[in-house]
Amino acid sequence: MHTPSDMTPLFSLADGFWTRTWLRHPASTEVGRETDFMFIWLWWFCVIWFVGLMILMVIFVIKYRRKPGTIAPPSSSHNTPLEIVWTVIPSLFLVWIFFKGFYGYIDKIVAPGHAIDMNLTAFKWGWQINYPNGSETPTTGRVGFREIPVFYMPAKTPVRLKMQSKDVLHAFWVPDFRIKQDVVPNRLMTVWFEADGPNEKTTTRHEVVSKDSPEGKKRPDLVALSGAAYTEHLVFCAEYCGTEHSEMAAFIRVVEPSVYEAWHTAIGTPSDPIELGKRLFKTKCASCHTDDGSSSTGPTWKDLYGKTETLKDGSQVLVDDAYILESIFEPGAKIVKGYEKQNMTSFRGLLNPSQVQGILEYMKSISVHAPKSETPTQ
Amino acid sequence: MSGYGHHGGSYLESKGSFWTNVVDWATTVDHKKIGVMYLFAIMTMFFFGGMAAIAVRLELLEPVRPIQDAAGAIVGVKGQLFGSSDAVSLEAGNNMYNVLFTLHGAIMVFMVIVPSVPASIGNFVLPLMLGAKDVAFPKLNLLSWYIYVVGSIFAVCSIILGGVDTGWTFYTPYSSSSWLGQPKVVLMVLAAFILGFSSILTGLNFVVTVHKLRAPGMGWFDMPLFVWGIYSSAIIQVLATPVIGITLLLLAFERFTRIGIFDPALGGDPVLFQHFFWFYSHPVVYVMILPGMAIISELIGVHAHKKIFGYKAVAFASLGIAGVSFIVWGHHMFTSMSETASMIFSGLTFLVAIPTAVKVFNWIATLYKGSISINAPMLYALIFLFTFSIGGLTGLPLGTLSTDLHLHDTYFVVAHFHYVMMGGTIMAIIGGIHHWWPKMFGKTYNEKQAMIAAVIVFIGFNVTFFTQFFMGTRGMPRRYASYVDEMQIWHHISTGGSLILLVGFLWHLFVLVQSLVAGRKAEKNPWGGLTLEWLADSPPEEHNFPHEPLVTHGPYDYESAVPYHWDPKDYPVPAENLKAAGAH
Repeated sequence: MHTPSDMTPLFSLADGFWTRTWLRHPASTEVGRETDFMFIWLWWFCVIWFVGLMILMVIFVIKYRRKPGTIAPPSSSHNTPLEIVWTVIPSLFLVWIFFKGFYGYIDKIVAPGHAIDMNLTAFKWGWQINYPNGSETPTTGRVGFREIPVFYMPAKTPVRLKMQSKDVLHAFWVPDFRIKQDVVPNRLMTVWFEADGPNEKTTTRHEVVSKDSPEGKKRPDLVALSGAAYTEHLVFCAEYCGTEHSEMAAFIRVVEPSVYEAWHTAIGTPSDPIELGKRLFKTKCASCHTDDGSSSTGPTWKDLYGKTETLKDGSQVLVDDAYILESIFEPGAKIVKGYEKQNMTSFRGLLNPSQVQGILEYMKSISVHAPKSETPTQ
Repeated sequence: MSGYGHHGGSYLESKGSFWTNVVDWATTVDHKKIGVMYLFAIMTMFFFGGMAAIAVRLELLEPVRPIQDAAGAIVGVKGQLFGSSDAVSLEAGNNMYNVLFTLHGAIMVFMVIVPSVPASIGNFVLPLMLGAKDVAFPKLNLLSWYIYVVGSIFAVCSIILGGVDTGWTFYTPYSSSSWLGQPKVVLMVLAAFILGFSSILTGLNFVVTVHKLRAPGMGWFDMPLFVWGIYSSAIIQVLATPVIGITLLLLAFERFTRIGIFDPALGGDPVLFQHFFWFYSHPVVYVMILPGMAIISELIGVHAHKKIFGYKAVAFASLGIAGVSFIVWGHHMFTSMSETASMIFSGLTFLVAIPTAVKVFNWIATLYKGSISINAPMLYALIFLFTFSIGGLTGLPLGTLSTDLHLHDTYFVVAHFHYVMMGGTIMAIIGGIHHWWPKMFGKTYNEKQAMIAAVIVFIGFNVTFFTQFFMGTRGMPRRYASYVDEMQIWHHISTGGSLILLVGFLWHLFVLVQSLVAGRKAEKNPWGGLTLEWLADSPPEEHNFPHEPLVTHGPYDYESAVPYHWDPKDYPVPAENLKAAGAH
C-alpha cells in the first residue's frame, strides 16, 4: 500500500475533477483510495473505447449512407489479422484489470494481524457494535428524521468487525471507505478498515462538556469527547431486508486514537460505581472469586467488606478500603488463612482509580457488614 | 386447405364470424398467430411493468419522511406515491415502495424480457427464416403460450392480494420467513415456476426446429445470425431453467418438511439459495440479451445492405457467450462468498467481455463501406450500439473485485443492468418490431413519426439511467424507499427522464396503432432483405410459402444477389459478381 504522494503520476488521476464528480471525494481509507484509482482508471478506459467506437459508427453512417440506384461496393467481410488483434488487445487489458482489482480486493478483505476486534450485530432494522470492553455506544445521531447509532472509531488504527445477523441478510456498507460485506445469519463475516484521522478540512468538533457539569457527571463519554475533532461517515444496509431497509443506517465518527481510548474507557464506566464494579467483577474477578457466598479459588466477596479475617500467621485484619486496595495491587502481602497456596496476579496498572472505586462500592453493596453511611448516594 | 403447392390466403384472413375467429386464434398451432399472441401478451405485461416503474420513480421524488407539527407530533408522511398529507404510517409508505419495485422487477424479468424476443418475434420469424412451414412441435408451442398466460395470472393474483415485497430475487431467509403468513409469496414463486416451463418448451421447440427444419440448401453457416442468436439462447433456456424450478421446489420442500436447506433458523444456508438462484438467473441474463443481439445482427446487415463482418465470429460469439454464461453466476455474490470463489468468478466474468466486445466490433465494422439506410429499425440498431456499449463497459468496474465491493447493490448496478436489459433487449425488440412489422401485419407505419419516437425514447432512457450511475458511485443503495437529502436532485433528474421515456413509448404505440388502422399495404420486401422471410408474402400466407424454398445464396450476400422481389435495375449487381456467386 502507498500513500497518494508516493504513487506514480498516474495515481493523480484518482484525486481530481472526476473523482469529485463520480465519488464525491477521495476515499477516507488507504485501501479505499486504491479503489478510487481503479475506478477512475476504468472510467477513462471506458471513455476511450466508447468514444472511439461511437466516432467510427457515426462516421460510417454518414459516409456510407445509401445512394439510390447504387449498391455497396464489394469489400472484405472478414479479416483474420484484424479480428485477432481486436480480440487479443482487449483480452490483455482485461487480464491487467482482473489482477489489479484482485489485489485491491485482497487489501480490503484481509485485516492486519494487529487490528482491534469488535463485534457487530445486524438486525431488522439496525446495527449494534459491542466494543472490546463489551460496551455499546450511548450516542445517537440523526439522518433524515431517524435516530441512528453513532459508532466512535480510532483513526489510523485498523479495526476489524466480526459481523453476525440476527434474522435475515444485511450488508454493511461504508461508502466513504469503499467497503461492503454481506452479513449472513449463522455465519461470522468480517470486514476491516483503517480510517484517516480527522483533519482540518473535513472535521467538526464535539461540544465542550466539563467533568463537573450536570451532563458531564451523567455522561463520562461526553467528557472524554469534549472538544475533540471528528470526521463522520454514513453506514448503510446494502442488502434488501424489508420494510425499513432504507432506514437501516448508522454513523461512524473517527476520532484521534487517544480520544477513542478515553471514550472507550468512559463507556465502560457507568456513572453508577456499583454497576461498574459488578461489570468488572464479571469480566476480571469472577474466575477466582464469587459474589454469592459459594467457595472458589479465592474468598467469596459476599459479606466480605467490613468482616474481620484471620490471616495465615494467625493475626487478624479488618477488610476495609485499605486492605482491599493492598490485596488488589500486592496480593501476596496479607494472605487469608486457608488460601496460602493461591497466587493471585497483581492488578497494578490494569485498573484505574474509578474502577477500583467501583469494585469497592460493589463489595460494600453485597456485604451486611458494610457501614450504611458509606453507601454512595448518587 | 393445405396451402402447399398453391397460393393460400394470408394467415390474418378472417375465418368467419367473430367467435369463429376467437376460437380459431385460441386453438391455433400456427407459429405466426402464436407469435402475435405472445407479442400482445408481452406488450401488455410491459405496460404494467412500465407503470410500476413510473410509480417507483414518482415515489422517489421525495424521501419517505414524517411531517411533524410544531409540537413534534407526526401528522403525516411525505414522499409517498399516493398523497402526502394524509396520516399514513411510515411503514405503509415503505411497504408500498417495496411492493412496487418487486412488481416492476418480477414482471419485467419473468414476463417481459425473458420471453420477449424468442417467444414473439422468434416464434414469428424463425420458421420463416429457415424456410419451414412451422416450428417442430406446433401444439407444444401453443401449450407454452397457455402456460405463459397461466403463470402471468398467478402473478396477477399475487398482486391483487396485496403484492410481494421480496424483490424479484426472492432471497432467503427474508422470502421464506413470511412464507406461511403470505400466500401471495407462494403465488408469485409459483408464477415464476410455471413461467419457467413455458420458457423450457419454447427453447426445446426452437432447438429442434433449427436442427431439423432448415430449407434444402441451408447449411449451418447459411443460417441468418438471428437464428444463431435464438438457437444459443434456446440452449440456455433448456439447460438452466430447470435449476430455478428445482430451487423453488426445494424452497417449498423446506417449508413443509422443516428440513433446513436455505433457512438459517433450520440450519440451512441462505448463500446456497443465492448460488442456486444465480445459477439459473445469470444464464438467463444471456437468454435476455442474446436474442436482442440476434435482432441487431439482422437489422445492421439488412439496412446496411452489407455482409455481416466476421459472420462466423459473431455466430461463435453467441455460442461462446451461452457457454461462459453458465460459469459466471458467482459475480452476483462477491460480498457473500469466500475470497477464493470471488477471485475465480471475477476472472471468469471477464471472459464474457471478450465475445461481447467482438460482436460490437463486428457490427461497427459491418457499417464500413455499406449502403446504409436510416429508418426506425436502423435507428434502433444504432441506439442499441450506443446504450449496449455503455451497459457492457460499465460491467467492467462491477466485475473488478475491488471496485465491486463499493458498487455492489447500489444504483450503479441498477443503471448497468438497465443499460444492458433495456438499452439492449428492449431497444432491440422495438427495432425488431418495426423491422418485421410490415411482414407481420402487411401494413406500413409512419417512418418519420417512428423515428421521432425513437429519439424521444433515446433521450428519456439516457436521462433516466445515466443519472443513476452517479447516484450509485456517490453512495445511494438499491431498493431504498428513502434517502439522504443530497441525493434528491439526482432522483429528480432520473424521474424526469422516466416521464420522457413514457412519452416516447406512447408515441410509438400511437404510430403502430395508426399503422394497423390506416397503414398502406406493405411490400413483400420493403428493406431488401436476403433472408427467406422476405421471400414470403406480407403478411405471409397460412403455411408461409407456396413451395418449399430453395436456398441459393447466403443470408447477407448483398454483393452477389438481388433481394427477393426487387428489380435488378434498383439493385444493380455487376454481372461478374452474379455469375461468381451462382445466384438466381
